[in-house]
Amino acid sequence: MSRVHDKFFAHYVGHNPLMAAMRPCAIGSQSMINRATTRTRAGRSSGPGIGLKTDVLMGLLLLAAALLPLKAHAGLGGPESTVADDVALLQGSIKSTPRTLYQVHDIQLPSGTVLREFATVGGNVFAVSWSGPSMPNLRQALGNYFAAFVAAAKTKHGDRNHLHIEQPGLVIQSSGHMRAFTGRAYLPDAIPAGVAVEELH
Amino acid sequence: MAQSLWNFSRPCAIGLALLSSLAALSCGGGGNGGSSGSGGGPPPLAANEVAVIVDSGPDPATNATVNTLYTTVTVCVPGSTNQCQTIDHIQVDTQSNGLRILASVLTLSLPVTMASAGNSLVECAQFASGYSWGPVAMADMQVSGEKASSIPIQVIGSANFAAVPAACSAIGPAEDTVTAFGANGLLGIGVFAQDCGPGCPASSGFYYSCSQNSCVEIAPPTQVENPVPLFATDNNGSIIDLPSVVAPGAVTLSGSLIFGIDTQSNNASGAETVLTVDPGMGTFTTVFSGKSFGRSIIDSGSNGTFFDDSGSNTSIIRCSSTGTNSNSALFYCPNGTLNLSATLTGLNGVNFVENFSVDNAQTLFKNYSTFSVMPTLSGTYSASATTFDWGLPFFYGRRIATAIEGRTTSVATGPYMAF
Repeated sequence: MSRVHDKFFAHYVGHNPLMAAMRPCAIGSQSMINRATTRTRAGRSSGPGIGLKTDVLMGLLLLAAALLPLKAHAGLGGPESTVADDVALLQGSIKSTPRTLYQVHDIQLPSGTVLREFATVGGNVFAVSWSGPSMPNLRQALGNYFAAFVAAAKTKHGDRNHLHIEQPGLVIQSSGHMRAFTGRAYLPDAIPAGVAVEELH
Repeated sequence: MAQSLWNFSRPCAIGLALLSSLAALSCGGGGNGGSSGSGGGPPPLAANEVAVIVDSGPDPATNATVNTLYTTVTVCVPGSTNQCQTIDHIQVDTQSNGLRILASVLTLSLPVTMASAGNSLVECAQFASGYSWGPVAMADMQVSGEKASSIPIQVIGSANFAAVPAACSAIGPAEDTVTAFGANGLLGIGVFAQDCGPGCPASSGFYYSCSQNSCVEIAPPTQVENPVPLFATDNNGSIIDLPSVVAPGAVTLSGSLIFGIDTQSNNASGAETVLTVDPGMGTFTTVFSGKSFGRSIIDSGSNGTFFDDSGSNTSIIRCSSTGTNSNSALFYCPNGTLNLSATLTGLNGVNFVENFSVDNAQTLFKNYSTFSVMPTLSGTYSASATTFDWGLPFFYGRRIATAIEGRTTSVATGPYMAF
């Protein structure tokens, strides 16, 4: 559900400045939607009084979403062209650096954290990494793999500061503590031949 | 700061009076069995000292924790002496700051802090493994004989703030239940006074202003605060004192948490090693196997010794991931015990050589499944990260002092770690 909303807001914020200006920020809008969604499921017992206004907004948003074309998912596994969508949604600035077999796209986030996306030229994002004082938006950075991350992260013997998830075709590492987070995720099968895992950070 | 009374949707607790008897408040150290493996009763605790224990946590059947340190705290409605609750299995963490309590164990009605008129202040506490969402509330807090009055704490997983903003849930999984959190709460007593830090911009994603309809990220008017510097006395730091334990470990381990450094007869500095740490991140340097880890930490909230060994000379074997636990690759699984050495260096240039051992984690978990104390448990850190994370095993057999930023002891000014 929220994925759809994310995609919607990628367009919303990126391509419709008038509408975007009506909101405090994209995040505020998303939270409003989530609240409305929660209410629908849980009825009036959840959350303090969410009013008619939200329902009207929700309807408008759904209508707008239906009118906008769907794009390929951004983040890990997405086409390189979607890196620009991530930059827009995350309100970051980008610096791209060519390496021999791929491009490195550094997205400087407003929080000070840097989200790095590794993509083959004209191909797909095969790895992402992050480092900085706040956790990045992993729903966006991990794209289609975010759900797998959330499901797998319910771990035995783990603590709050370390994750290392390995599944067929997917590796996700996340480490750190408040004020210093770091991590990376990659698709082992999508790494170009000749690129060492060690250089993806 | 205006506040609104917010009922946490549970009946008010049995009023536990704030007892003047300090012994009664410091007898806890975990509700599920407070005794260590050794015989004989522990010595009586001083007024600035509370029992701590390493055990399998508040939900051992579902989530038996390892190398996780707990204590007991009492929280009260601000100003009240009878609306109080004593809560065990509060994890002790030297790398976060502030008190957090899971709403599901809280029976009090605490006033929620307002972000502005009509809007509540709600926090998205960020962890590497997920997020904890919940309002900031005011409480009086007592641990041992130390009291901090009307301090901002976080109440995680409150039903009154059930809708999580998408930007918060984008961090990963929710850690808003006792089982997911591995504790009834978290007592962050690191080197910093606040959890997010000076300025704490809205873009950090830590704090939100929530109306009835929506939440927006804000630079908070107040943050969740480390209670130690707010104590009336013994407020320049704390000391975690744990006995040594021989590998492969023990079922439980009991020790104490002492508040203040050089303020009482039981917290005097001696000839220990003082490592001053980075004033922005609380970090120092570790050199291991020829590699420098410039953002190293000593963290009671980490349940092993964690470092990225890739590219080093030792090349420690990682555990293989299994179908039911794809996170098992987090830990190291050498073929036998590895005896290793590393050098810790503070910003003050002081060096300390630490010899430590790494055992096969899968063997430990399999052969010693009742143990919650595992001194040789070790695992990876994100590749290329320059953090060597000295977790709770580093605390076994030591008295480790955490000195608060800007506070002075007889040996140095914080932030520093000493042992």
